[in-house]
Amino acid sequence: MTDFLRRLLMTPQGLLGSIIVVLVLFAAVTGGWFAPHDPDAMAALARYKPPGGEYLLGTDQYGRDILSRILSGARSTVTMALLATVLGTLLGAVVGTASAYLGGRWDEFIMRTIDAVMAIPSLLLALLVVSLLGAGGANALLAVAVAFMPGMARITRAVALTVRKQDYVSAAIARGEGSGYIVLREMLPNVVAPIVVELTIRVSFAVMLFATLSFLGLGAQPPAADWGLMVSEARQYLHRSPWILIWPSAIIAVTAIGFNLLGDGLRDALNPRT
Amino acid sequence: MTENQTPVLSVCDYSLDYRVGSERLSVLKNINLTIGRGEILGLVGESGSGKSSMASAIMRYLAPNAVENAGTIHLGSTDLRSQSARQLADLRGRRISMVFQDPSTSLNPTLKLGEQLTEVLIRHQGLSRAQAWKAGEERLAHVGLKFPVEMMHRLPHEVSGGEKQRVVIATAFACNPELIIFDEPTTALDVITSRQILDLFAQLQAETGVASLYISHDLAIVARTAGRVAVLQKGEIVEEGETEPLFRAPKHPYTRALIGAVPRPDRRLLKGDPPQAEPLVRVRDVSVNYGRRSLLDSLLRRDFTPVIGNRAVTLDIKPGEVLGIVGESGSGKSTLAKAMTGLNRFDGLIEFDGRPIRGLGDMDRAYRREVQIIFQHPDASLNPRQRISEILVRPLKLYGGREGVPVQRQIEEMLDRVRLPASYIDRFPHQLSGGEKQRVAIARAFLSSPRLVICDEITSALDVSVQASVIELLMDLHQQTGVAYIFITHDINLVRQIAHRIAVMYRGDLVEVVPTQAITSSDRAPYTRELVAAVTPPASLTLTA
Amino acid sequence: MPASYILKRVALIFYTLLVVSLLVFGITQVLPADAAVMMLGENATADALEALRNSMGLNDPVWLQYLRWIGGVLQGDFGTSLRTGQQVGPALFSALGTSLMLAVFSLAFMLVLALPAGILAAIRRGKLTDLLVSFLSYIGVALPEFVTATLAVLFIADWWGILPPAGYVPLSQDLAGGLRHLVLPVAVVSIIMIAHVSRMVRSELVDVLHTDYIRAAHLKGLSRSRILFRHGLRNALLPTITIVALDVGYLLGGVIVVEEIFSIPGIGRALMAAIQARDLPVIQAGVLIMAATYCIVNFAADLMYAWLDKRIQYD
Repeated sequence: MTDFLRRLLMTPQGLLGSIIVVLVLFAAVTGGWFAPHDPDAMAALARYKPPGGEYLLGTDQYGRDILSRILSGARSTVTMALLATVLGTLLGAVVGTASAYLGGRWDEFIMRTIDAVMAIPSLLLALLVVSLLGAGGANALLAVAVAFMPGMARITRAVALTVRKQDYVSAAIARGEGSGYIVLREMLPNVVAPIVVELTIRVSFAVMLFATLSFLGLGAQPPAADWGLMVSEARQYLHRSPWILIWPSAIIAVTAIGFNLLGDGLRDALNPRT
Repeated sequence: MTENQTPVLSVCDYSLDYRVGSERLSVLKNINLTIGRGEILGLVGESGSGKSSMASAIMRYLAPNAVENAGTIHLGSTDLRSQSARQLADLRGRRISMVFQDPSTSLNPTLKLGEQLTEVLIRHQGLSRAQAWKAGEERLAHVGLKFPVEMMHRLPHEVSGGEKQRVVIATAFACNPELIIFDEPTTALDVITSRQILDLFAQLQAETGVASLYISHDLAIVARTAGRVAVLQKGEIVEEGETEPLFRAPKHPYTRALIGAVPRPDRRLLKGDPPQAEPLVRVRDVSVNYGRRSLLDSLLRRDFTPVIGNRAVTLDIKPGEVLGIVGESGSGKSTLAKAMTGLNRFDGLIEFDGRPIRGLGDMDRAYRREVQIIFQHPDASLNPRQRISEILVRPLKLYGGREGVPVQRQIEEMLDRVRLPASYIDRFPHQLSGGEKQRVAIARAFLSSPRLVICDEITSALDVSVQASVIELLMDLHQQTGVAYIFITHDINLVRQIAHRIAVMYRGDLVEVVPTQAITSSDRAPYTRELVAAVTPPASLTLTA
Repeated sequence: MPASYILKRVALIFYTLLVVSLLVFGITQVLPADAAVMMLGENATADALEALRNSMGLNDPVWLQYLRWIGGVLQGDFGTSLRTGQQVGPALFSALGTSLMLAVFSLAFMLVLALPAGILAAIRRGKLTDLLVSFLSYIGVALPEFVTATLAVLFIADWWGILPPAGYVPLSQDLAGGLRHLVLPVAVVSIIMIAHVSRMVRSELVDVLHTDYIRAAHLKGLSRSRILFRHGLRNALLPTITIVALDVGYLLGGVIVVEEIFSIPGIGRALMAAIQARDLPVIQAGVLIMAATYCIVNFAADLMYAWLDKRIQYD
């Protein structure tokens, strides 16, 4: 484990990605505890403040502290993105593994259907699901999970098939091992690593997709402190103070970059042969 | 070579390191080499000896992390190390050229063979496209390709490995260079093809009198091909001299060990006569077909032709017998092994110790225990995420080990039997060398106390000295346990050392099964005779020691 | 290219559209929207609503409604919009035209930037150019369209006043004005794809430049440009065709956001409006048309790949 961490932190991507992700996760877990102000407290006299002084990143159109809102927004945005990705990955992994395991006509049928679903852009699929369930955070989570499912199923199947063809699996079959042992002990540890890498990178897409849904008015609803929503609301006031717009935009980008970098770092670190 | 003649290639006090992190890895140390006109120098060494780095250094195509000393490399009177990139590009392909190991990777997959040949003529001889094409056809005819005009228009994947290598050789000879470097030119080819390529090389070499550096790990081939040999060990030339005396009386212990490790049919490693008993395994009309009829085929009522892996193979193996199976790639020898271990579906009947086995369902735990398989690449057959302990405990868990002996003890004893230290028990496969990994795989097979072990090309990825020690281990285990082996290989010299009988396979068919000493007999099947004739006999290695 | 290969690919397109139509029809069936209420208004009497439902066939079994819908689609009849009462087909196809123009410009813009960037990064691997390209692409893939669009409007349109912040002018009406309106949307839609594709081109080309046949080409003394263009690029760019085609799915998603922000009357905007208004026939038709576009692009890419790469195996 320490060996793995050392290898992860040795690459520049791994190091930078880990730092960003740890900070973002820290903010998501602690929520608004470290926020200098109440994220929802409006102050009529402190509207459109530029960064500096009492309000480190300035204030928004209601005089709310932007830093506090970003910190407490981490909880909803990042936690949701993580949950949605994990859920989508699990669903996809089940379908992908089943497809690889069943093989033959079933495999062809399942994969062609997955391909068909992928013909619908994931944002559109998410929009459809949200409109089906109604706007709101929890429904957006489900929508993103559903949108991710087909892609993850594809990847899981590809990885599972590669591993399935390895001689160590053949050796286990020739030895007469049960399917349980083969799947859990021989295949799973080798399947999990590439999936974890993919999952990490997808979290960044999930963050972006969530923000987009909120931006389009189908995710989190005002007055929630949600990054996408903050950008959406700030658009009307960008002439008064561009900071209201720039900060949440930047934090979305940095978070997405962080998960991307971490995924690339993990890819190198999880390879047992290097 | 007379003294006043400048040699074609001379390497003087040349050393090469690679920078890895903060360390320096020494690859070549104080190399001195000369090759005169018309001479063939064989450079022999095992993997990691630095022989390919030598080729890169001469071609001036080194990795960015290479660090050279002050040594010199001269081509004729040209100092190669002082040439600019432009000058080098002008030299390469014209005065010095190279033939690579694997023609399927050294040819561009999306360009016509003709273009890949003629681009050298256009570049270095200033021919027009049409002239070059015409000349290219002549060159292809000259390297023995039957349809040169058509061949020019083909893509690499449309022709055989041997044909590809002929095109590569034609390209190397195209501009009549002074020196050609051959980097393992036959290693990726089948036995018969490789013989033909070697004959072609000898013919062209005699015609043109080009100086050649012939790099190979195969001592038998080098002994037959080169006039002079240099033996490379860990970046140092430990011995150099005329081929014949060097192989007859090697001075350096490493050379001696290397020559001693070469499989020689006349030196049998298998003691005793073939056992006389009822067969342990009877394989009756076993066929394997790959592929499946697709939905579209059935819809269009098209004929479906499956790919044939094995066609009605019938053979017996007696208890304690070593049966060699030889054949070229695609001959179906591994397919049979997979059928016998339940990795391929098959039609027909396998009888093991009187028990009929018609399919996967009949392969019960007892059968699995008694029939073990070892694969070619230990890298692939040992799970990279399991420690040696977990890998080796499986057979004991599955089939039960010896009563009353702790599992840990049994594993340690087995590691000792395959000559690995007990401390390896906590390691991961990637922390072991190739030979050590293969020993772990052997240990795993023998922990189940099998009666038949199928060895599928288990030494072909290993260096010759490592191969020799693995074979020795297998023979010892055979003596101790009386296990029967099916030994699948393409190395006929090796199988003649260790098998009671040899089965010859060709394109899915079993050609014949013959006692080992009768494999060279003149009344063998035509294919068997062709195969045996193509093998370079290590007879030229007349080692007296 | 064997005819059976083309036949199989066409069959797959139909299968894809079947799955998509079932999926979108299923979703719209469950959607809490009552077409009759939408058409007659909240104050309509129960009898009137029931009569309309009967006449529209909404009381028929679901499978019959599906067959009726898909039968209409096959004859080119996508139904009538609940919101406007107009035929869905013609309106959506003209909107699709606008979106396709945006998409084609974006693809072209993307290729013009991504290919040279990826190639340059691969040739100068480990050098400053490579680091710069990889740095920019990390940022590029992390910027959602709505963020770039909003920032672009803020800086380029509002502060500097170079380009119009929103709106759409058909090119046939005013070429210069139309193009000026397209610059920002095209740039915004392309950014993520530029980042993604340039990365792909880089890694493909780096792999190719490390192959044996490139080494062989160097050792034949060929010129650097011949090695790069004749031996390297061809093999490196082949897989890019497939990647770009798959990215078209992403592009179509991005188009929705961008059309919304820049008020471009394309299919994405029409779909967003339909989703908000629960205009079922428009949603159904819009999703189906988008999926069909994606299928056709990928079909074309597969044919192109098969035509360029003679090694392909038709399974």
